[in-house]
Amino acid sequence: MVNMKTTLRDNNLDTKVSAKTIIETIDLDFYYVPEEKALKTVNLRIPEKKVTAFIGPSGCGKSTLLRCFNRMNDLIIGSYIEGSVLIEGRNIYDKQVRLEELRNKVGMVFQKSNPFPMSIWENVAFGPKVNGVSSKSELDDIVESALKQADLWREVNDRMDQSALDLSGGQQQRLCIARTLANKPSIILMDEPASALDPISTGKIEETIEELKKEYTIVIVTHNMQQAARVSDYTAFMMVGEMVEFDQTNTIFTNPKKKLTEEYITGRFG
Amino acid sequence: MSISTNEQFRKKVDRANKTARIIISFGGYGVIISIIFILLFLMYQSLPLSFSVSIKEMLSFSYDKPDKRIIAIGLDQYQEVYYVLNDKGYVEFYRLSDKVLLLRDSVGLNKDEKILSISKGDYLKDRFAVGTNSGRIIQAEIRMLPEYGKQDRTIVPHFKVKDIYQAEIPTDSIPAHIEELVFRQNDDYDFYVWINHAQELMLRITDDYDEYRKDLTEFLGESKLTKLEMDYNAEKLIAGTISGELFWFDISDPEEVYLKDNWKVSDTPVSSLAFLIGSNTIIIGNTDGQVTGYFPTRTLDNVFRFMPVYSFDTHAAAVEQIYISPRNRTFLTIDSHGKAHLNYSTTNQTQIEFKPFDNTVQAGAIAPKSDGIILIDSKNQIGHYKLEDEHPEATLQTLFGKVWYEGYEKPEFVWQSTGGSDEFEPKFSLIPLIFGTLKGTLYAMLFSIPLALLAAIYVSQFSPKWLSSVIKPTVEIMAALPSVVIGFLAGLYFSPIFEENLMAIFLVSIVVPVVSLFGIMGWRLVPEVQRMRMPLGWELILTFALFIISVWLSFSLADTIENLFFAGNIKQWLYDAWNINYDQRNSLVVGFALGFAVIPIIFTISEDALSNVPDSLTSASLALGASRWQTVYRVVIPAAAGGIFAAVMLGLGRAIGETMIVLMATGNTPILDLSPFNGFRAMSACIAVEIPEAPVGGTLYRILFLTAFLLFIFTFLINSIAARISDKLRKKYARF
Ligand SMILES: Nc1ncnc2c1ncn2[C@@H]1O[C@H](COP(=O)(O)OP(=O)(O)OP(=O)(O)O)[C@@H](O)[C@H]1O
Ligand SMILES: [Mg+2]
Repeated sequence: MVNMKTTLRDNNLDTKVSAKTIIETIDLDFYYVPEEKALKTVNLRIPEKKVTAFIGPSGCGKSTLLRCFNRMNDLIIGSYIEGSVLIEGRNIYDKQVRLEELRNKVGMVFQKSNPFPMSIWENVAFGPKVNGVSSKSELDDIVESALKQADLWREVNDRMDQSALDLSGGQQQRLCIARTLANKPSIILMDEPASALDPISTGKIEETIEELKKEYTIVIVTHNMQQAARVSDYTAFMMVGEMVEFDQTNTIFTNPKKKLTEEYITGRFG
Repeated sequence: MSISTNEQFRKKVDRANKTARIIISFGGYGVIISIIFILLFLMYQSLPLSFSVSIKEMLSFSYDKPDKRIIAIGLDQYQEVYYVLNDKGYVEFYRLSDKVLLLRDSVGLNKDEKILSISKGDYLKDRFAVGTNSGRIIQAEIRMLPEYGKQDRTIVPHFKVKDIYQAEIPTDSIPAHIEELVFRQNDDYDFYVWINHAQELMLRITDDYDEYRKDLTEFLGESKLTKLEMDYNAEKLIAGTISGELFWFDISDPEEVYLKDNWKVSDTPVSSLAFLIGSNTIIIGNTDGQVTGYFPTRTLDNVFRFMPVYSFDTHAAAVEQIYISPRNRTFLTIDSHGKAHLNYSTTNQTQIEFKPFDNTVQAGAIAPKSDGIILIDSKNQIGHYKLEDEHPEATLQTLFGKVWYEGYEKPEFVWQSTGGSDEFEPKFSLIPLIFGTLKGTLYAMLFSIPLALLAAIYVSQFSPKWLSSVIKPTVEIMAALPSVVIGFLAGLYFSPIFEENLMAIFLVSIVVPVVSLFGIMGWRLVPEVQRMRMPLGWELILTFALFIISVWLSFSLADTIENLFFAGNIKQWLYDAWNINYDQRNSLVVGFALGFAVIPIIFTISEDALSNVPDSLTSASLALGASRWQTVYRVVIPAAAGGIFAAVMLGLGRAIGETMIVLMATGNTPILDLSPFNGFRAMSACIAVEIPEAPVGGTLYRILFLTAFLLFIFTFLINSIAARISDKLRKKYARF
C-alpha cells in the first residue's frame, strides 16, 4: 500500500496527515442567507478509508460542512457556497457534476433514522434500484451483503418483507446504514448517527463503523467525545463556522495544539 | 395561593371540562342522529314499495234472490254500492253497508227473452251490451256517481238503455241466439261483434249516420269459435277457437276490415280472453288452465305479430273468467273450480291464489280504483274483498331487472315514469339512472383525477413558493363556485361552443400531448448547464406557451382537417361511419363541468397529503442518489397514498351526489349507452326533475325516495370504504 505523505497547506493546521486525501475543501464559505457565513474559509483534507470525526459545540456548522460533501445543502433555497469541495480531485460544485452520481458515491446517514415506509428489502434495494439495477437476484445479493455489512442480516433475514417501521430504533438506524451501503459508496457521511439511541444500540453502530472503515471513508459528526475518541482516526474541531483544529484523534485528545480545543475536550465549555 | 382557592380553581376547571364535553358530545351525537334520521326517513318513504299484495275479505253475504242467475256484478269507485244484473235483464243497486236496495231497473227484455252474453264496453264508464236469445243486442249504461251533501257523500246510481238493435232475425224454425258478444265504443263508432247460433261471426260498426255490417265467418275456415275480445281502442278484434287458435282482425278502418294474422296459442280450446288496459296485452286462458299474455311487437320481418311474453301460474281447471283492473296491469283469472288467481302482467307474476267460495264463481269485478274485488258464486253468495296492492308496478324485478314492456321488442331496462295517458304504463327501471350516475362520475373522474393529481404533485413538490401561493387560492376559489353556475355555463354556454368546434377540440386532445412530447424532447437537447440556469417556475411559463401554441394550432387546422378527412362535418361523419349520435349536451361536457367541481377537492386534499410527507424521507431518497422525480414517485406518492386515495374517493362521492351540474349539462335522457357523445340521467338529477311531478305517496314518489336512499347508501359505502382503505394505506406507508 502506498502511503502518500501530504502536507496540509492550511496555516491553521500544520499537522501532517499521512494518508491519501479523498475530500478536500478549499477556502469553503457557506451562506444560508447572504452575507452571513455559516462556514468560514474551511480548508480541510479528509483521508481515504479512515474515520474522521467532526466535533464542536452545537451550531458550529458540523452538519453544514458535512452536507456540503453530498450537496444536500442545495435543497435549502437561498443558500450558496464559495470556494470548492474536491472529491477525488474533482470539484463537486462544478456544473458538469450530476447530483445523482455524486450522492450515489457519497452516502449519508442521518441523525434521526429515516427508513422509508416500505419493507426492509425495499429499503435496502432502493438505492441500487433508482441507480439502475433491476435484476431481482442481483438486488437480492446487494441487499444481503449490505445488511451483513451493517450487522443486521442475522436479525432480519427471516422478515425481509416486513415493514421497516416495525424495527427498533437501533435496527432502523443500522438499516439506514445498510441502505447507504447498498449503493456501494466510497464515502459515508454520518450526522450524529447514534445520538438518539440507547448505549447498546450505539455500541453496535460503533462496531459497524469499525468494520466499515476497512472499505469506506467515513465522516461522522458526534457530540460524544468518547465516541469520537473510540471510533475515529482523525478529528476535526470546529467553532462558529471555523475549522479550529484537525489532526489525528490521538493528538487532538491528548495533545491539542490549540487552547480552544483543549478547553472543549476537557469539557470547560460546549 | 391558598389551598381553598386552589380547590375552587380545580372545581372551575372541572366544570368547564364537563360543559365542553357535553357540548361536544351533543354535536357529535347530533350529527350521527340526524344521519340516522335521514336514513330512516328515506326508508320509511320507500319501504311501502316492498309490501306484498294482500286480499282481505270484508264482507260475505248472500244475495236474497237465490233463483236468479246473475250475469254481471260491479262496484262504485268508493266501494259503497254494488249492482247485480241477472239474465232476465233486471239490474239492482244495493248499498253494501246495509244491503238497502237503491234502484231497480231493467234493460227491457220481452217475455221468455234471456240474456246469453254480455260485454262491458269500457273499463271506466260502465257501458255494456247484452245479447239475448231472441237476436237482440241492447246497449245500456250503468253509472254510480257521488253526490255531495253538506257533510256526506252519497252514491247515486243511474241506469239507462242507450240502444236496441235486432242483430239476428229469429224465424219459427231457427232461433236467433247471440252466443258470444263483444262491444266497444270509441269517439267515432260503436262496435259490436258477435257469434250467432249458426256459429257465424258478425261485425257491426255504427255511428249516428252510417252502419257497416260484415260477416267475417269466411275468414275462419273450419274453426269453431269459443271467445271474442276487442281492445279498448277498437282496433284489434281477437277471436279464440276450440282448437286453441286466435284470429286477429284489423278493424281500425270500418270499411276495410281484414284478417291480419292467425296463430295457435295452445292445443286446448281458448276458454277466456281479455285485453288489459293499454289495449295491447291480451290475456288468454285455456281449458287446461294455462294463462298466457301476448302483445304485438315488430318482428324481424318488420311486421307486427302478437308475441308470447307472459305466462302465469297454471290453474287446475279451465280458466273461465278474466277480470281486469281499470287502473293497472292487474287481472283476476278464475277457473271452473272457483279458484281465483290475482296476476300482474308486467312482472309476469301470479301474486295471490285464493278460493273465494265453495261453488263456482258466476261473475265478478275489480273495483274502479283497483282497491277491491267483488265476486258472486253460482249460489248467489257475494264476497267483497279489499285489495291492497298500491305499487304493483314496482318490484325488485321491475326496478333492477330487464322487463319486457308493451311495444318493446325485447326485455329492457327502461325508465319512463310518466306518459301522456292513463293507459300509459310507467316504467321504473333504476338501472339507467344508476348507470347514468356512474357514467357521469366516470367521465368526471377521467378528466379530473389526472389533472388534479398532477397539479397537486407539481405544486407540492416542484413549483416555487410564489407559484403555489397563487395556485392554491385559485383552486380554492374554484371550489367555492356554486355548482349551478358551473352547470349553467357548461350546459348553456360551453356546450354549443363545444359542438361548433368539435373538430378543434378533438385536435386539441391530440395536439397538446404531441406538442408536449416534442417540447420535452427538445428540452433534452438543451445543454444541461443551460437547463440548470433556468429559474424555478419558468417551466410552467414554457409549458403554458406550448399549450397556447397547441390550441392555436388545433383551431387553425380544424377546418382543413375536417374538410380533408371527415367530409367537412365531423358530426355527420361520426354518424355515417360509426353510427354515433352527437348530442349537444353530452357526457364529455358533463365530464368537464363535473370534473371542474371535483378538481378542487382532489387537488386540495392530495396536495396536503403530499406536502405532509416529511422532508426526512425526501432527503433520504435524494441522498441515495434518486432524482427529484424518482423521489416523488417512489417515496412521496406512496407515502401520501392514503391521503391521495381519500382525496379521490371524496371527489368520487362528490361526483356521485352532484345534482345541478348533471341536471343542467346533460339532456337527462335515461339511456344505457357508454358513448361520450350522448347524455345520461343521473339518480340525483332524476330526483330533482321528477319529485315536483310525483303525487305524494304514489309509486313514482316512493321510487324517487328509494333512489335517494340508494344514492345515500352509495355515497355512504364509498366514504366508508375510502376511510378504511386510506386508513390501511396510512398505516402501511405513513408512520413517519
Ligand atoms: N436551513 C438553515 N437555514 C438557515 N440557517 C441554518 C440552517 N441550518 C442551520 N443553520 C444555521 O447554521 C449554523 C450551523 O448549523 P449546523 O446545523 O451546521 O450546526 P451543527 O454544528 O450541526 O449543530 P448541532 O451540533 O446542534 O447539530 C447554525 O447557526 C444554524 O442556526
Ligand atoms: Mg448538526
